[in-house]
Amino acid sequence: MKLPIRKIFSIFAVSIIACIIGCGKTDYLAEGIKIGVAEALTGPIAKYGVPIKNGFTLAAEEINAAGGINGKKINLVVDDEQGKKEEAINVFKKFIHKDKVLAIFGPTLSNSAFAADPTANAAKTVVFGTSNTADGITAIGPYVFRNSITESDILPEVVKMAKNKLNLKKVAMMYGNDDAFTKSGYDIFKKAVGAEKLQVVATETFAKGDIDFSAQLTKIKNLNPDAIICSALVEEAANIVLQARKLGIPANIHFIGGNGFNSPKLAEIAGNASEGIINGSPWFLGDPNKKNVAFIAAYKKKYGSEPDQFAAQAYDALYIMTEALKTLKFTGSLEDARTELRDALAKVKNFDGVGGNFSFSENRDAVQKARVLIVKNKKFTIYSE
Amino acid sequence: MSDFLISFWQTYNTLFYTIFIHGMLGLSIYLTLACGLLSLGNAAFMGIGAYTSALLTMKAGFPFGISLIAGGILPSMVALAIGIPTLRLSGVYLAMATLGFGEVVRVVLLNMEITGGSMGINGIPQKTELWHLVLIMGIIIFFFIRLRDSKYGRAMEAINEDEVASSVMGIRTTYFKVWTFTAGAFIAGVAGGLNAHFTYFISPREYGFEPAVDILTFAILGGTKTFWGPIAGSAILTVLPEMMRFMGPYRLAVNGIILLLVVLYLPNGIVSRGTFISLKKLFSERKSNA
Repeated sequence: MKLPIRKIFSIFAVSIIACIIGCGKTDYLAEGIKIGVAEALTGPIAKYGVPIKNGFTLAAEEINAAGGINGKKINLVVDDEQGKKEEAINVFKKFIHKDKVLAIFGPTLSNSAFAADPTANAAKTVVFGTSNTADGITAIGPYVFRNSITESDILPEVVKMAKNKLNLKKVAMMYGNDDAFTKSGYDIFKKAVGAEKLQVVATETFAKGDIDFSAQLTKIKNLNPDAIICSALVEEAANIVLQARKLGIPANIHFIGGNGFNSPKLAEIAGNASEGIINGSPWFLGDPNKKNVAFIAAYKKKYGSEPDQFAAQAYDALYIMTEALKTLKFTGSLEDARTELRDALAKVKNFDGVGGNFSFSENRDAVQKARVLIVKNKKFTIYSE
Repeated sequence: MSDFLISFWQTYNTLFYTIFIHGMLGLSIYLTLACGLLSLGNAAFMGIGAYTSALLTMKAGFPFGISLIAGGILPSMVALAIGIPTLRLSGVYLAMATLGFGEVVRVVLLNMEITGGSMGINGIPQKTELWHLVLIMGIIIFFFIRLRDSKYGRAMEAINEDEVASSVMGIRTTYFKVWTFTAGAFIAGVAGGLNAHFTYFISPREYGFEPAVDILTFAILGGTKTFWGPIAGSAILTVLPEMMRFMGPYRLAVNGIILLLVVLYLPNGIVSRGTFISLKKLFSERKSNA
């Protein structure tokens, strides 16, 4: 059988030409206001990426159901970046040049943001991080925004409050030293502890995936600190707290946790041992603010589980973006609209979201009040009395 | 047409860059595999190269070319130092020793001050351009073509087939093994340096266990009979997940199924006699049917 090479070739050529003509005429508003969402939806980071995606989807549905932005619908283009830097760059480039989105949310990890955000900044496209807390993210360029308040805003507040309330003198510190997130948390804690003039009796480290912490905890127990400051992700955090109580470290020696403690899973795994954990967060599940209650109810109805901080910050982020989009005229080209959006976004002030009052700082970082929380009856509540 | 090409290039240029990088990594492990050695240290060598060249361009202000070469030389020195004792091991034991070495490198990178610990190095200038990659890949391929029929290439093949017999024949097996290990580390280091200069950012988690296995997969999938195998394997494994993007969350599952099928039906890899024969069969059947 002879292959009809000419025929195949001509079909191929025609389809390419059709595509070029088709692609050339893409009106960037034809499918609504396109916004890219690049998050880790598969792999080990998916446990953060999926709630973020859920938060965005929920917000977009609400906004569209209420009539969209000046009559235009929001069209979220969601793609997986697996928590890997090359993937994040690929997804960003696809969003900017192929999907022709107006702005991008993501990526999930600060590591990926360091690799991918320069791409968006160079293409003059707004990139809005909702979970990037590392130092220096917004220094990448004028198109980089974030609404995740960083640990350097939260943790010093937590240490200060705990010191005053519990009359702390000496503390022990523990942290995961192989993870950017927990390591930077530790660095901030260390600074805060120095500023509060607390004595550090021991500094113990562990690695991601460790399950036995009895060696470190026994040492800490013998040194008899007033509190244990711990920068860990939630799995390790829960195990550390459980094992500490099992080893007989009394409940009046409170754990002071970093951002990794900020998950409903902590109380789920650690149970009664989680009582008295002190932590800081821009958002928490028990916040009685009206918007927050409505958000939690809607989230539970749609996804069957309680939202976490990452979902809440994503949800707020899309509403913050909406504030800026409302002021856009959409008269010029896509490039014009992208730049206009940047200028409009930088002006957002006193936005009232599920995480309370929000503004962008001069450097496009979040200005939001940190709240110090304590676990009572297995639930985070405001730490004050 | 040019509009389409420009937007296509803008969208996918990083992907093309990554194909070249992965191709080099595939070739770096092919060198040791061709000698019958299962080494899993190439991700670590890549890491050493990436950090060396990134630090040299950023902190010392070296020109890109020199920091790239330094990024190749340092890992090969390390390979030489650890190769002489560990290459007496074979099979699974060598794999474990090199895996352990990889962990050591990762932990050292995590704890050193100059490497930025777990925060990595951020803001590496973008220096890698397509022609660098094409040129270096060209040089490497030329090297492999020349190697194939040279004294070194034949010695490697002999060691791969039967180490004892070849040592009886007068081939200095340890010498050749250390040599391939070191040369492989050089290529991996240069690939790491090139990679660091277009992704703006490096951190220790990119050079751990998972990438070490990925690199091995490039070579195994492509086939290790000729050096074209690892090149084909890494190109396929880089492009496939991107092409499967429309599958949404299932794309990695599809990726896995394709890998499984290749391993089942083409156990010697994609570039192998097996593929050749089945293609031949396919075409001759078609002819007889017509």
